[in-house]
Amino acid sequence: MDFLKVFDMLAWFPENISTFGGDLDALFAIIYYISVGIFFLTFGILGFFLVKYRYRPDRRGYNYHGNNIVELTWTILPTILFAAIGLYSDEIWERTKYSKRVPKADLEILVMGKTFGWMFLYPGADGKFGRNAHNDRSARSLITLDNPFGIDSNDVYGKDDFFVENQFKVPVNANIVMRGSSVDVLHSFFLPNMRVKQDVVPGTWMNIWFNSFKPGHYEIACAELCGTGHGGMRGQYDVLSKTDFDKWSDSKNAEMLAAQTPAPMASAEPAVADSTKK
Amino acid sequence: MSTAVTHSSEAEHAEHAEHAHDHGHDHAHHDLPWYRKYVFSTDHKVIAKQFMLASLIFLFVGGAFALFLRWQLAYPGQPVPVIGTLLPSQWVDNTGAIAQDFYYQLVTMHGSIMIFLVIIPLAVGMFGNFCIPLMLGTDDMALPRLNMWSFWLVPPAGVIIMSAFYVDGGYAAAGWTSYPPLSGVINSPTFTVSGQTLWLIAVFLIGFSSIMGAVNYVTTVLNKRAKGMKLFDMPLTIWGLFITAIIITLGTPVLAAAIAMLFMDNFFHTSFFLPDNLIAHTRHGIEAGAGQPVLWQHLFWFYSHPAVYIMILPLMGIVSDVIATFSRKPIYGYKAMVFAIAGIAFLGFIVWGHHMFQSGMNPLLGTTFMLSTIVIAVPSSIKVFNWLGTLWRGNIKFTTAMLNALAFVSMFIIGGLSGVFMASAPVDIYIHDTYFIVAHIHYVLFGGSLFGIFAGIYYWYPKMYGKMLNESLGRKHFYWSFAAFNATFFPMHIIGLGGHMRRIHDPSIYEFLKPIEGWNKFVTIAAIILGFSQLFLVINILWSLKYGKKAPRNPWRANTLEWAAPPHPGHGNFDRDIVVYRGPYEFSVEGRELDYWPQWEPGKSISVHHHTIVVDEKQESNAFGTH
Repeated sequence: MDFLKVFDMLAWFPENISTFGGDLDALFAIIYYISVGIFFLTFGILGFFLVKYRYRPDRRGYNYHGNNIVELTWTILPTILFAAIGLYSDEIWERTKYSKRVPKADLEILVMGKTFGWMFLYPGADGKFGRNAHNDRSARSLITLDNPFGIDSNDVYGKDDFFVENQFKVPVNANIVMRGSSVDVLHSFFLPNMRVKQDVVPGTWMNIWFNSFKPGHYEIACAELCGTGHGGMRGQYDVLSKTDFDKWSDSKNAEMLAAQTPAPMASAEPAVADSTKK
Repeated sequence: MSTAVTHSSEAEHAEHAEHAHDHGHDHAHHDLPWYRKYVFSTDHKVIAKQFMLASLIFLFVGGAFALFLRWQLAYPGQPVPVIGTLLPSQWVDNTGAIAQDFYYQLVTMHGSIMIFLVIIPLAVGMFGNFCIPLMLGTDDMALPRLNMWSFWLVPPAGVIIMSAFYVDGGYAAAGWTSYPPLSGVINSPTFTVSGQTLWLIAVFLIGFSSIMGAVNYVTTVLNKRAKGMKLFDMPLTIWGLFITAIIITLGTPVLAAAIAMLFMDNFFHTSFFLPDNLIAHTRHGIEAGAGQPVLWQHLFWFYSHPAVYIMILPLMGIVSDVIATFSRKPIYGYKAMVFAIAGIAFLGFIVWGHHMFQSGMNPLLGTTFMLSTIVIAVPSSIKVFNWLGTLWRGNIKFTTAMLNALAFVSMFIIGGLSGVFMASAPVDIYIHDTYFIVAHIHYVLFGGSLFGIFAGIYYWYPKMYGKMLNESLGRKHFYWSFAAFNATFFPMHIIGLGGHMRRIHDPSIYEFLKPIEGWNKFVTIAAIILGFSQLFLVINILWSLKYGKKAPRNPWRANTLEWAAPPHPGHGNFDRDIVVYRGPYEFSVEGRELDYWPQWEPGKSISVHHHTIVVDEKQESNAFGTH
C-alpha cells in the first residue's frame, strides 16, 4: 500500500502539529485537486488532438484564425478561478502572518540565528525581558558572539533571562510568540512540522507565532542559504505538556539563580557569563 | 517575385540605396579579413552562432555542476564515481567526495551559469540575433556594431566568473540570488577579490550585454521591417523577442544599479545592504551605516522576476511558430497571443514580491503580490488554450522541432500549475525554499525554455548552417531528454513536500527527511541520464554540419520571411526584394493548392468569419459568392 503514496502528493507532508497548519495543508490540497483537474483536462485535450489530427497525406489543416467569444470565455473563466483562489488564500494569509493578527502571547521567546545555529532567549522567572537588542534598538551595540541578544547586564529584569542553543521547549496548546532576528547573515527559521517558516534579517525583528496541539520531539532547520554550514544548521525542539514545561523552566530558573547567588557582584560581570553557564 | 522594391522601411531607405548593389550576392564583403568575418563580425547570423557556441559550452559546464551536486545529495559524503579522485583538490576531499564548501559553490554556479550564461544568451542572444533580421526581411540589425559588442561582453564575463577557481575560497557561494549580508560580507580586508566579487563583475557585464542587445532589437523591429510589414504581420517569435527586449531595457538597469551597490559593499566595505552591528567574525562595514538587506531582494527581484519572462517569452513565440507550421494551421487567436505576451510582460513587473513572502517584507505587501501573481496565470492560460486551439483540426507532423515544441507546451502547463501553489502566500509558507520551488523552476526553465530552445535549434538549423539536422538522432535526443527530464524533476515536487530545504549539502542528518531519501537517489540517477542524453544534441549538431543533407530554401514549407532567404544566407541575407503581403500564419488557405502561403508571395485574400479566402483578381466575386 505504501507504493500508492507515489500517486498522492499530499501523503508526503510531515505530520502537522500546529493549529493553523491544517488550514495551510487544506489550502494546498484544494489547489492540488484543482491542478490535477486542469492537468488531466489539458493533457487529455492535447493527447486527443495529437492522435486525432496526426498527419494524413490526404487531409488539410483548417484555416481558422480564432474566435473572440472563445477567447473571452477562456480569459474570464480562469480569471474567476484564480481570483477565487487568491481571495481565499488571502484570508488565511492574513490570519497567519499579519502583524496585527499575531495572538496574545502566552509565552514570548526571542530567537536569534547565527552561522550556524539557533539561539533562544526566555524571559525567565519574572516573565519579563530585561533591556536587550529587541526592546531597545540602542542595545544593538552590545551584541557580540557571546552576547548575541545584546542583553544589558545592568538591567534587573534581565538577570533571570536565560538562553538555550539549538533547542527550545514550549508548552502545548499555548500561543508562542517569537521575535526573530539574526546576528550575521540571513537565516530562515523553519519548523517543518509546525508549518512555520520566517526569514530572519539582521537589524530587524520578525514576528513568528504558533500554537501546537501535539506534544513531541521535532526538528528545526534553516531554509535560507547562509554559508557553508547552512545544511547543518539543525536544531531540535520539544512541545511539552504544561507541567513538564513548568518543570523544565523552573529548573532553568533555578540554574540561573544558582549561577548568580555565589557572586553577589554579578552586575560587574558581563551578563552573558552568567547566562551561558549550564 | 519580380517586383523590384527596396525592402526596408523608409527610415533606413537612404542607407539602403547605398548598399543596393549587395543584393543577391552571398559573397558581399568578401574583402573583410577573417577575424572580422568569424570573430569580431557584425553579421547578425555569425553573432547568433557565436552565442550558440558559447552558451552550449556553458550548458555542459552548468550541467556537470548539477550532476556533482546531485551526487552529493543522493550519496552524501561518498566519493564521486569514476572521476572523484581526478577532480581538483579544492573540489573534493581526499576520498573524492564533494567538499562541503564546494557544494555551496556548485549550487551558486549551477544557477548562475544556467541563467546568465545559457538560457538568456540562447533565448535572447542566439534567437534574437538570428531571427529578428531574417524574419523581418531585412539585411542586418539596425546597430550591427553594438550587436557585436553585446556578444563580446559574454565570453569575458564567462571567463571572469569561472576564474574564481584560482581565487582564495573558490567560486561565489551565496546562491545565484546572492543575498546580502552573505554576499556582501567577506572575511577579509577591503579590496580583496573573492569569488563573489568576480561573480558581481561578470553578472554586471552580462547585464550590459543584454541591454545592448535589447536596444538593438527594439530599434530593429521598429525601423527595419520589410516593406508592407505591419506590426501585426510579425511572427510571434518576433513579438516575443520584441517584448522581451523592452523588459530588458526596463529591468536590467535596475539590476546593474543593485549590483554596483553590492559590489561596493563587497569590495569597498560600504553598507548599502548591511545593517549596523553585524557580526561576521570580524565586524564589517562602517558602523554608522544602517543598510537594509531586504532592499537587495527588492532590487534583485525587480529585475529577476521579469528575467524569468525574459527567459520564456521568446520561446513562447518560437514554439507558436513551430506549432503553427507543423499543424499547418494559423495560430488560434494571433492577437490574443500578442496581448497575452504583453500582459505577462506588464504583470511581470509587479509580481517580484512573491519571491519574498517569507523574507520579512511587510505581510500586507504579501497580499498585494499574491493577487498580482495569481492574475499572471490568466495570460499564461490564454496562451496554453490558444496553442491547443492551434492544434485543433490541424494536420500535425511530428518532426523533432514539433516534438520539442509540444514538450514545451505540456511542461509549461505543469510548471504553470505548480506556480499557483507558491503564488498563494499561505501555501508558500511551507513550500518556500524547498525542492518544490526547485521542481517548479526547472519545469519552467528546463521543461519550458530549454525544450523551446531545442525546438528552435531543430527548426532553424537548416537556415543557420545550410544543412538539415538528423531527424532520427533528434528523436533519440528528444525522447531520452523528455523521459529523463520528468523522472528528474517531477519527484522533486514530492521531495519538496517532504520539507527538503534547497541548498543543503546533506539531507541525511535530518530525521524528517528520511522518508524521501529514496527519491533523492532516484532523481540523481535520472539526472545523470538526462545529462548524458544531451550528447545526442552535440553529436547531431556536429555530425550534421559535415554530413547533413543539404537544406532546401524552405524545408518546413513555412510562411515567414527567413525562408525566402537562400539556405545558408551570406552577409545581407536576401537574394531578392522582400515585400510582405499578409500575416505569417496563412496555412491551408481555401482556394489555394499549396497548404501554405508565404508572406512574401503576391496575391489577394479576404477574411470571412475568421477564415482566409483567396480572391482571384479576375473573378472578384467568387469568394463572396460561396460564403
